[in-house]
Amino acid sequence: MKQKLTSPVQIILLLALTAMGLTGQSYPGKPKIIRCRSLEKETFSCWWKPGSDGGLPTNYTLFYSKDSEDKNYECPDYRTSGPNSCYFDKNHTNPWTTYNITVMATNEIGSNSSDPQYVDVTSIVQPDAPVNLSLETKTSASKMYLWVKWSPPPLVDVSSDSHIYHYELRLKPEEKEEWEVISVGVQTQYKVIRLQAGVNYVVQVRCMLDLGEWSEWSSKRCIQIPNGDSPPEKPTIIKCRSPEKETFTCWWKPGSDGGHPTNYTLLYSKEGEEQVYECPDYRTAGPNSCYFDKKHTSFWTIYNITVRATNEIGSNVSDPHFVDVTYIVQPDPPVNVTLELKKPINRKPYLVLTWSPPPLADVRSGWLTLEYELQLKPEEGEEWETIFVGQQTQYKMFSLNPGKKYIVQIHCKPDHHGSWSEWSSEKYIQIPTDFRVKDMVVWIVVGVLSSFICLIMSWTMVLKGYRMIAFILPPVPGPKIKGIDTHLLETGKSEELLSALGCHGFPPTSDCEELLIEYLEVEDSEDQQLMPSHDNGHPSKNAKMIPNETDSDSGRGSCDSPSLLSEKCRETSALPSTLQTKDIRDVQENKGGKRSWETQCIASEQKIVHFNNESTKSSTWPAAQLPNNQPPMFAYHSTVDAHKVTLSTTNVNIAPLLVGNEEKHQSQYPISETVHHDIEKQREMENLHSKTDQITVQVKQNRPNDKSPFLNPKLMDYVEVHKVRQDEEPAVLLKHKENNGKTEKYTVPGTSKEYTKVSTVVDCNIIVLMPDSRIQHTFLSQEPAMETSQNLQQGQAEKNMSYCLTVPSECKRETTGSEYMDPSSFMPSFK
Amino acid sequence: CHTSGMLTPNGKEYAQKIPREELTHLILKLLQAWKEPLSHFNQHIEHHQELPDDSLSKAKQISNMVHELKTGVEKSMGIISNSLNGMASSEAAGLSISNEANMMSDSDFIHCFRRDSNKVQSYLKILKCRIMPENSC
Repeated sequence: MKQKLTSPVQIILLLALTAMGLTGQSYPGKPKIIRCRSLEKETFSCWWKPGSDGGLPTNYTLFYSKDSEDKNYECPDYRTSGPNSCYFDKNHTNPWTTYNITVMATNEIGSNSSDPQYVDVTSIVQPDAPVNLSLETKTSASKMYLWVKWSPPPLVDVSSDSHIYHYELRLKPEEKEEWEVISVGVQTQYKVIRLQAGVNYVVQVRCMLDLGEWSEWSSKRCIQIPNGDSPPEKPTIIKCRSPEKETFTCWWKPGSDGGHPTNYTLLYSKEGEEQVYECPDYRTAGPNSCYFDKKHTSFWTIYNITVRATNEIGSNVSDPHFVDVTYIVQPDPPVNVTLELKKPINRKPYLVLTWSPPPLADVRSGWLTLEYELQLKPEEGEEWETIFVGQQTQYKMFSLNPGKKYIVQIHCKPDHHGSWSEWSSEKYIQIPTDFRVKDMVVWIVVGVLSSFICLIMSWTMVLKGYRMIAFILPPVPGPKIKGIDTHLLETGKSEELLSALGCHGFPPTSDCEELLIEYLEVEDSEDQQLMPSHDNGHPSKNAKMIPNETDSDSGRGSCDSPSLLSEKCRETSALPSTLQTKDIRDVQENKGGKRSWETQCIASEQKIVHFNNESTKSSTWPAAQLPNNQPPMFAYHSTVDAHKVTLSTTNVNIAPLLVGNEEKHQSQYPISETVHHDIEKQREMENLHSKTDQITVQVKQNRPNDKSPFLNPKLMDYVEVHKVRQDEEPAVLLKHKENNGKTEKYTVPGTSKEYTKVSTVVDCNIIVLMPDSRIQHTFLSQEPAMETSQNLQQGQAEKNMSYCLTVPSECKRETTGSEYMDPSSFMPSFK
Repeated sequence: CHTSGMLTPNGKEYAQKIPREELTHLILKLLQAWKEPLSHFNQHIEHHQELPDDSLSKAKQISNMVHELKTGVEKSMGIISNSLNGMASSEAAGLSISNEANMMSDSDFIHCFRRDSNKVQSYLKILKCRIMPENSC
């Protein structure tokens, strides 16, 4: 089966092939590389001749390889050198390599490639022929010679400067056959002597690079050598000009002289006259010119001028030239161009450019009126700026840039028909830079001022930076827990904390009143009982409970002991109850206050002592109290305030811890004075002094009334630890200890208060205890109604009372709980 | 040109030698000589359709200017006293001349007018600088 199939296929194929053979279509014939040539050794081209195309469209591709490389490249450019060519440009040409070039012809059926051609660029160099061949006959010393000039062949893609061509010239008379070859060298011109007159010569030139072949001969040029006996050529009149509208000159150009010396004569006639005159003056204006002086110049008349050239053989006349002198005026350029810098007062300086009309022009009589034009440009500039000035001979320049150099030129023209003169010589303008001095001064002043201002501003910023910042960006108020100062909690010592908490409630503001901390004061004197109960409005001081520390004065807690005084003097902690929002200031003030306090301590001690002498009441107590009671109600006092503390209560200017209400504070003092006796005063004193303290001493009790609560001569409770309950509700029962007989009542166990909550620990030796409200009732029931104050106090059982407890001093300052005190613990429960 | 017959100084020296009045006279004579031909010319070119409108209006403008110039010169020179005599003769002369002018071709006409206006301008300038030398002379 297969065989059966294949044989028909074979037959078909054979048929197809023969058919193709009959129709003449076949693979292409072999192309042939005709020639490769380089024009200048940097590029080269190759041309090929196609073979038969086999009846189908054929593509030709040129492949080449270099030297012994195997890699085949394709022709980079098939177009530049024409059809069937390949152009190798600079980048593809290596002068010292041998190229192996083949051309392949491809059509639908197949392809055929030419024989390889080995091309060495240096060997195929042949430049183009020179161009622009020009011939000229010249006569010198009555001898004729031929002046031949040409240009080197133009080169594309390559600079022609680097190529030096050698030239060769050949000439022959037209009729002759033999060429005379002259080697020229590298020049592009040549003078041929030994010419035969009257002969028509043919000239050609060719060139060669230092290596390679001679180019082709350039195209022919012919020239007729004039005969020695020919008349001169016709001269031509170039132009006629009048420089000042009074005289004029005409110039002509002679033709060839025909081999013999030639004379030239100018002849003219005027309009309306038949008479022909000859030029009056051939010399003044130079060779080949005629000068007409004033006498021979007429205006508004047309001159008919001709020039005749005459030699031995014959003569020749130029074409006539008609001229009316009025219209051929071309003045000389202006002269005396001067610059002047004018500096008027209160105005910008400007330049004045002045010039004079050309000397020959008679402008004074009005015969010739000139118009001027300026040409201006900056020295580095490209374009001239033309300014028409008119008939004036000066020009003011206002808008030139200082410091720059300008070039200026002037020319002129008659106001009516005529032509512009030549430009005057260039004049340089240098704008003085002192134009700028004013600006510089201004800028310097501005700079100095601004730097000055910056300095001042930075200085104020540095000094009063905080205030400025506070002024501009008021500090965000933190949560205000009355009586608690977070900052103090953070940074202050525990004593300060405690003192801040309550002891400063000097000016009883509403905030202060919220701090319900009763001061139980234990006093020696009889007066000192249950003061707190009826002195609601008075602040109480915390008694510092120092159970383990007693001094000779019984009934007095060691809080009051003089020894403590000094301690307290030194300590500068503040109670946390004194929540202050003015942190920064307070710290500062604290520090200041501390220092002043110390001095005050001593002073207060003295004062207290002094004061005590006056008092009829328990003198020792206040004395002792005072120092102990430094728990400054105001932990923060300004340093200013510190030295304002005086015995006079009216002058006190206290910044309360809790919330400043200075007016209120100030009012306290007089009130307290009137209400209370010495004790209060003492207390005031203490407080006054203590306010500068930063020792946390007392927690003051907030009273709702406007009286300075802490001035209440409340009983400072110096309590003894009665017992410590260790049951499930651990509590410390404190026994109120009183010196007087009344105290006995207080020692009823039932009356002892139980303190279960520790609110704060101040300064390592003070614990602020909070009584448990549940237990209050026992106190209430058992207490006799002896003292109204006591009752009141009972009534205020809900009040939390905190006591100062001194604890062993090893403990460092600790603050219990969070930095915020539970404000509810300080809230006054009574109205 | 129809005014070629007039004897006018051909150069600066000649113009400067002539006394003022004579020069003024000359100017006026020239201006007068052109009055009529100009109007005739204007009429003539109005029928020319090839000329652009600018040329027509320009020509009219020029003839007006000539007239104004003549009047101005007369006034400034205070010629009135002489004018009657002088102008009468010049009028007569002008008439004959202008007849001649009508026969010129347009290009000749323009050429002649250009020349004569240049003459007038030069004479006037000389006069001006003679009378008032301080102004740009």
